[in-house]
Amino acid sequence: MSFLHIDDVHKHFGETHVLKGIDIEIDKGDFLVLVGPSGCGKSTLLNMIAGLDTISEGELRLDGRRINELHPSRRDIAMVFQSYALYPSMSVAGNIGFGLEMRKVPKAERRAAIQRVAELLQIENLLSRKPGQLSGGQRQRVAMGRALVRDPQLFLFDEPLSNLDAKLRVDMRTEIKQLHQRLGTTIVYVTHDQIEAMTLATRIAVMRGGELQQLGTPQAVYDDPNNLFVAGFMGSPSMNLVPARIADRDGKLVALVEAGETTLALPIVRDREALEGWCNRQVMLGLRPEAITDPTSANRDGGEIFEADLEVELVEPTGADLYVVTRLGGISVNARMRPGSPPQPGEDTRFAFDVSRMVAFDPESEARIRTAVDADAPVQAASA
Amino acid sequence: MSDTAAPPGKGARERLQRWLPKLVLSPSCVLILFFVYGFIAWTSYISFSNSGMLPEYTWAGLRQWSRLWGSWTWGIALHNIWVFGLLYIVSCTLLGLLLAILLDQRIRAEGALRTVYLYPMALSFIVTGTAWQWFLNPGLGLEKTVQALGWESFSFNWLIDSNMAIYTVVIAAVWQATGFIMAMFLAGLRGIDGEMIKAAQIDGAPAWKIYLRIIIPQLRPVFLSAVVVLAHLAIKSFDLIVAMTGGGPGNATAVPATFMYSYAFSRNEMGIAAASAVFMLAVIAALIIPYLYSELREPRS
Repeated sequence: MSFLHIDDVHKHFGETHVLKGIDIEIDKGDFLVLVGPSGCGKSTLLNMIAGLDTISEGELRLDGRRINELHPSRRDIAMVFQSYALYPSMSVAGNIGFGLEMRKVPKAERRAAIQRVAELLQIENLLSRKPGQLSGGQRQRVAMGRALVRDPQLFLFDEPLSNLDAKLRVDMRTEIKQLHQRLGTTIVYVTHDQIEAMTLATRIAVMRGGELQQLGTPQAVYDDPNNLFVAGFMGSPSMNLVPARIADRDGKLVALVEAGETTLALPIVRDREALEGWCNRQVMLGLRPEAITDPTSANRDGGEIFEADLEVELVEPTGADLYVVTRLGGISVNARMRPGSPPQPGEDTRFAFDVSRMVAFDPESEARIRTAVDADAPVQAASA
Repeated sequence: MSDTAAPPGKGARERLQRWLPKLVLSPSCVLILFFVYGFIAWTSYISFSNSGMLPEYTWAGLRQWSRLWGSWTWGIALHNIWVFGLLYIVSCTLLGLLLAILLDQRIRAEGALRTVYLYPMALSFIVTGTAWQWFLNPGLGLEKTVQALGWESFSFNWLIDSNMAIYTVVIAAVWQATGFIMAMFLAGLRGIDGEMIKAAQIDGAPAWKIYLRIIIPQLRPVFLSAVVVLAHLAIKSFDLIVAMTGGGPGNATAVPATFMYSYAFSRNEMGIAAASAVFMLAVIAALIIPYLYSELREPRS
């Protein structure tokens, strides 16, 4: 029995169909991140879970009971908003305690609960201040305190970090993750930032245009994307997507990729059975930047490595890594190499392709070409 | 200054550029100095003189002031302005807030309704006063119409009842200003973060508590502006009363402004009128100056 079950949920705003049948199940203690570009319906879905938006079709079940018609205050949820939505006329303690006060919790008990949460979030010294006197990060903590104090079954976060500056955002991200690990709470979290999604989630739901593109663990979504959209959306720098042709070379299935004057024949390792049907047809190959590297950095234990000399177009050092850009199939391709002795632009250097991590997509439908039962592909996050 | 070193043409142009804004502004500065502050000073001086029908410049000390405060009519005028001002400010604020809250419920035809409520503000006080005088006149308006419809015993003669006449002025004034106050509150309500209301819903607050505890406290600056605007309108109220009751019946609706007018121009007591005018100025200044100071001060971070 799943803890939160979003069962074929639709949303219509007049003529427009905003959510087109979303199915998501998560377990107690899961950290579900809804991620997607703006307008994909993720915030609408969150508002529907909160009860701030009505559900046009489908059912929402929390811990086995249908909550479609329940008022937000009776769903046993708490929400942290993007703008923090603190009540400016009340002190921090008043803000945190407001929900308890509305639920007629006795004053002494309320004060103890506020104190407990303030200690947890290290905001005890701010309790008597007004929100207007707090910094962005402190407001964020108070907003979280307001959610935590009621000890609800489900926490909802609506892009809570997007108003913070970059450094603080990373710190708060870590803190949210620690909080989740410590308290074991169930969280639904909306963001458009795929790095936030990767770092925080135990389950990621990638959405686009009101449809669920993929639901799975962060690693599954990253390594085994369902379609071109998920492949391109998750990961930074994003996955290299290169046009190629599948061919049979002496009984070995290869992907032919144009590289300047020559053609590379990358051996097909993954999804071989499915790709056999694509012989002599165009596909879109997906390779993460870290799957293209220099021969010494290549991971020879797990994967099959294919090496080739290619012309360097551009070199981008980031300190930790060195991104080397070359041209494959008419497209600039990012390779992640060891920093140190960078190759010069215009020269040839040796690239090592980890072809066991290569994925292929149908360029027409944008769907992944994959063998149904793949050992390393847990497709949908099944709740066992 | 390097005026001597610069070529003569360039120096002249620079000088002109420096002086041009001052030149352009100075006529209006002079006019304001003379006609506003000059006459304030002149009126203040007159209030300490022996002026009667015509201004006269012999110093009389506080004679006019003590006559003003000894005047029975001035007492009535002060009492009336208290009653009028208090009822006017409180009713306009509460009604304006209520209308704004109702209009803020995403109702249909909100734009049209907003305009309807705002229209009275576009009328001059003279028009409002005349229209309400007709409407409340027992022989012409509401009373006669209702009686003609068959309710023979209906009576609404506050306009000519010296105990009640001041309330008819309040009704007309509230009718005129409520829409404007509503617009101020509506703007304030629109500025409130919608997520805050969602948060309060999740916190389990019923709608009236959301308004009472979260929204209305945030409208404090609007309340302040509304009270200041209404208070100075109330103290300055003159044309509405002249058009509606002429200060009557008797002195029943006399306020300081009508008192000042009648003492200056029909009772030939310019000294007392000047004293009352200076007193009104002082009260309005006491209201407006702290308000302007708090509004124009550098905004806090």
